[in-house]
Amino acid sequence: MALLEVKDLCVGYRIFEGHLRVLNRARLEVDSGERVGLVGETGCGKTTTVKSILRVLPTPPAEVASGEILYRGADILRMSHRGIRDLRRREMTAIFQDPLQSLNPMFTVGTQLRDILKDSMGGRGRGRLSRREIEARCIAALHETGMPDPERIMHNYPSQLSGGMRQRVCIAEALSREAQLLLADEPTTNLDVTIQDQILRKLDELVDEKGTSVLIITHSMGVVRDLTQRMYIMYAGTMVETGRTKDLLAAPRHPYTQGLMESVPRLTGVGISDGIPGRIPNYLDPPSGCRFHPRCVHVMPVCKETAPEFFSVGEGHVVACYLYRS
Amino acid sequence: MPESILSVENLTKCFPTKQGLVRAIDGISFVMAPGDTLGLVGESGSGKTTTAQCIVGMYPPTSGDILFKGETIGAAFNRRPKHVKGDLRIVFQDPGSSLNPKRTIKQILSVPLAVHRVGTSRDRLARMKALLEMVELPADEYLYKYPQAIGGGEKQMVALARALATNPSLVLLDEPTSALDVSVQAKIINLLIRLRRELNLTYLFITHDLSLMRNVASRVAIMYLGKLCEIAPTVEFFEHPVHPYTKMLLSSIPVVSDEEEALKPHKAISKGEIPSPVNIPPGCSFHSRCSERGDSCAELDPEMREIAPGHVVRCNHWCGPEGE
Repeated sequence: MALLEVKDLCVGYRIFEGHLRVLNRARLEVDSGERVGLVGETGCGKTTTVKSILRVLPTPPAEVASGEILYRGADILRMSHRGIRDLRRREMTAIFQDPLQSLNPMFTVGTQLRDILKDSMGGRGRGRLSRREIEARCIAALHETGMPDPERIMHNYPSQLSGGMRQRVCIAEALSREAQLLLADEPTTNLDVTIQDQILRKLDELVDEKGTSVLIITHSMGVVRDLTQRMYIMYAGTMVETGRTKDLLAAPRHPYTQGLMESVPRLTGVGISDGIPGRIPNYLDPPSGCRFHPRCVHVMPVCKETAPEFFSVGEGHVVACYLYRS
Repeated sequence: MPESILSVENLTKCFPTKQGLVRAIDGISFVMAPGDTLGLVGESGSGKTTTAQCIVGMYPPTSGDILFKGETIGAAFNRRPKHVKGDLRIVFQDPGSSLNPKRTIKQILSVPLAVHRVGTSRDRLARMKALLEMVELPADEYLYKYPQAIGGGEKQMVALARALATNPSLVLLDEPTSALDVSVQAKIINLLIRLRRELNLTYLFITHDLSLMRNVASRVAIMYLGKLCEIAPTVEFFEHPVHPYTKMLLSSIPVVSDEEEALKPHKAISKGEIPSPVNIPPGCSFHSRCSERGDSCAELDPEMREIAPGHVVRCNHWCGPEGE
């Protein structure tokens, strides 16, 4: 059984103009110990997916129309308040894009780290940690992320740290307790390449060491290639393609993925394609059938009528496109 | 040596702050020939944007000189001759904040035309339509829209049309695509390449994306803490990077295929962070992160040296075509 399974999830937002139907039967699976990437452009519903998994979507305006999110077989969407709290406390953990927004500017790094450990491990009973142990764990967690001089950093406020350091604090917070699943939502998008490289290498090491399963959300194909074993391509709220990262990047099949891959500037200097014509659809009135059909060069009559199912094109490599129907 | 369109000589820009003097640009020199696309690459805080802002006249330089077509334009924009302002234009990173949200695209585009007195008002409408067509936006549909009604890529195209309104010969592009998705970026980049060819433009392209520069620039310059580390023609730059910082940058790029992986230098592993520009390390400013550091680097600030035609490097440890 998969650790995390998102089944036909439909999530929308009610706004003044009407109903934004963002996620349209999104599906996703993360096995135990697996590292999965979710790639898509701005506004395709990546963050909505992660927020639904953590159940932190503001409802309203968001509303889950249908679908299931199973964590070890239990549906997160139908869990009690207490159940989801326990899950977030012990099982799931997250890193978000902007560390300045996920860290409280009014408290020192040490206070915030200690609070997390106290909440997840400081309860009653045998698992309880003493204050000294918590302190030691915090420093160890910061040290693990490659932070120089963690004792000093514990007394610093987030505003006193650089962007890379702040993200290291977030990683330390996320990995300080033994979580099973790490959700990383664009963890390095705001950072410079050299810092991104350091952070990703560290994340890679730590995740390897602890055997954590990872769902990493990004728009960078390169990051996914370095970090994950399997990946999903998302377009306008639906998964269009999934497969082993290496296979998928070497031979993308869905017209959208192909267009995306051709747009990525290469170090080999082969030039850049013209991009994909058109824009991401308006979710107030999304296209019928396959949501990509208005921009697709291979569009067929059937594409406008019904959304394609997944068709297999290789081992574990499936594509939601009628081109591969046979 | 071809006649230069822009030459920057020993440009320095300091900002006094409470914490001390920030040396945003610390004596950089480069020359651009007409038709060149110079990619200025660096991490955040390296002074790339300040360089563009000095050239376009948003700040007067602290010292040094900027020559545009042989004319000194070191002064701030309010003392510059108007023809220089029309000939040297800039496109900013975030089109959301560089376009006035309360004005229609027509109003936005009419400003540079009015300021530079291009034609009569009837000519101007035709000119605006031509500009929008030039950046591949259907003119009649977009002329009366507001910036908020169009997508990020389209906004950037409008910003580009505004920059081209006065027929410039040099356009500064300050991270024009870093706020955009790759598929939109591809569109803008192709547009830029086509316009450069059709209108004989020269670009100073500021970015942090080296793989993009591989496909766009004719020369690449690397900037670190207000100083240039390496300038080289694009192919030479990517095939024979010399400066340790360049190697570190190249090895940090996430790539999508094995062929690209093979091109990256693997010895230089990224470490450390860019130091604060308030107290720049003595000697070579990169020595604290350098993997090839020698004893002299902490004291001796290296000079710019030309090691091959057009390939300039600022490093103490470059010892010949084979290295050490």
